Amino acid sequence: MKILVCISVVPDTTSKITLDSTNTRINSEGITFIVGPYDDYALSRAIEIKEQTQAELVVLHVGSSDSDALIRKCLALGADRAVRIDTAALDSYQVAQEIIHYAKDQSFDLIMMGKESIDYNSGIVHALVAHGLSYNHFSPVMHLELDANKLILEIETDSGKSKVSTTLPAILGCQEPIAEWKIPSMRGIMTARTKEIAVISPIHSNFEQHIAAHVVETERLQKMISAEDAESLIDILKSENLI
Amino acid sequence: MKNLAVFIDSKNGQISESSKRLLDLSSSWLVQNGLEGIYVYGFEEQSSDSFNSFSSIKQYIHITIPGLVNNNQVIAPLLEDIKQKEIDQFFYVKSLLVDSIAAFLAESLSIPLVSNVIKLAKVSDGYQLTKSIFSGKATLTTEINNNSFIAAFNKSFTFETTSQAGNLAISQAVIALGTDAQNKLIENYPLTGAIPLPDAAIVVGAGRGFNDPSNWGIVEDLAKELGAATACSKPVSDLNWRPHHEHVGQTGVKIAPKLYIACGISGAIQHLAGVNGSRKIVVINNDPEAPFFKHADYGIVGDVFDVLPRLLNKLKSH
Ligand SMILES: Cc1cc2nc3c(=O)[nH]c(=O)nc-3n(C[C@H](O)[C@H](O)[C@H](O)COP(=O)(O)OP(=O)(O)OC[C@H]3O[C@@H](n4cnc5c(N)ncnc54)[C@H](O)[C@@H]3O)c2cc1C
Repeated sequence: MKILVCISVVPDTTSKITLDSTNTRINSEGITFIVGPYDDYALSRAIEIKEQTQAELVVLHVGSSDSDALIRKCLALGADRAVRIDTAALDSYQVAQEIIHYAKDQSFDLIMMGKESIDYNSGIVHALVAHGLSYNHFSPVMHLELDANKLILEIETDSGKSKVSTTLPAILGCQEPIAEWKIPSMRGIMTARTKEIAVISPIHSNFEQHIAAHVVETERLQKMISAEDAESLIDILKSENLI
Repeated sequence: MKNLAVFIDSKNGQISESSKRLLDLSSSWLVQNGLEGIYVYGFEEQSSDSFNSFSSIKQYIHITIPGLVNNNQVIAPLLEDIKQKEIDQFFYVKSLLVDSIAAFLAESLSIPLVSNVIKLAKVSDGYQLTKSIFSGKATLTTEINNNSFIAAFNKSFTFETTSQAGNLAISQAVIALGTDAQNKLIENYPLTGAIPLPDAAIVVGAGRGFNDPSNWGIVEDLAKELGAATACSKPVSDLNWRPHHEHVGQTGVKIAPKLYIACGISGAIQHLAGVNGSRKIVVINNDPEAPFFKHADYGIVGDVFDVLPRLLNKLKSH
């Protein structure tokens, strides 16, 4: 079995978002970058499957060498090797095309990634890749069990949850509680140093040109109501037609 | 001149509010951009008067889904239908089902699919789409120089209306998606009774401050009285005090109700990421230093076990 996990690299969830001088990009200065939290769930489950089945586990990232330290962390967690496609991730379509181009003759049985990246929140890269590669596709996947050549999945739907079965090859967008995030072991960190990060040239296929970004500031009233007077909240909410 | 396709969402034949707004936007967009007509696609049967108040609709196509919508083979019949209709642009309000269909169309037709669109404009050599990014903390305007594209709208989209001509009588058609042997539905667990979180107009959220799952009665009672959905913070669902689909935030559901009442939640930035879109936020917390108060419209420093029952009593006495 061969598993590919695709990771996004995004600003740490506690980052304050500001713009750079071009006003089209997020200012990356002073920001800590992390592996997308949903991708981290996907990777964690993939590592468990690898341990269970001796599968080969490859991590893929579309981005610059700035991400290498984070890719190394994925290797320390247990991925066997990594591939980095050397171009900035610009839009879902472009990222998907890069993944499709790389994966199309690599015969991965299972491709996993987060249900969405937490910067652009588009949540469609996995679906685009699935259709490009003609794989079965499910997202968001909350539970994954391997049953011979079949996958038993619990997925979220627009109207609740479903349990489904599918066959390999498949591609999954993942979310919690598919697995618990993992912490690299000392031994993992040591062995990761000698694992390969292959750098591949991009095919370039973006549609979108970013022309302007804005940080949204929501002004809140910050009115305090004393606890003794808590009931007056109801009158206020009524008068504002909120309830 | 080419056409526009709009995917709508409905329940028991009732078109959702956001889909109605999208049809309004689409009629105006059509006029402003010299497109010919609108093909409306949906997943339920619609009565002929469902579309009375919208103009320029050519046809309603009811897509029936015999199985799961999870690979090319299943969606192929829809692609055939679409290819015959000379459709340039596709609009929908973001949903898991249509996301998966739209990705297939984008991939098959090699056209861009832009997600979380909140505003749309024509410019001389293409289109400008403004999308919500970082869970609503920022927006990004992006330009595409392609006549054909798919826009997945965020529910909070805005638009300018153009006054519309009268209605046309619209025809209806049905197409069935395919099936395959690889994907099987084992069981559905529909959200029962409670109001689905993503659609709720009022949400009552509860956090670790409630200490124990047995203390959730007051949260549920208050939500019931308000006609609200219940939500929780991540640690609460991690501890299995509440189901995972109630978890809101950066890694959970993102909500945008008119009112969010957060009780016993500290207001971590990851939690805020999922609730920032709320029109008004009420925070109830016994710690005056809780960071959530800085992001509240109304704050009460108090014990949830004292304040919530009193709010409930007051509501009931009205
Ligand atoms: C990558 C990442 C992603 C995350 N994603 C999410 C996410 O999507 N959603 C999310 O919620 N969190 C998320 N978190 C966790 C987040 O950082 C916080 O830990 C979490 O939101 C805290 O939950 P809480 O407010 O319920 O608990 P706490 O922080 O423990 O706060 C409990 C609050 O209850 C108050 N309280 C206690 N007793 C009472 C009482 N009797 N009456 C009134 N108030 C009382 C306390 O003063 C306190 O403010 C994420 C974290 C990381 C690192």
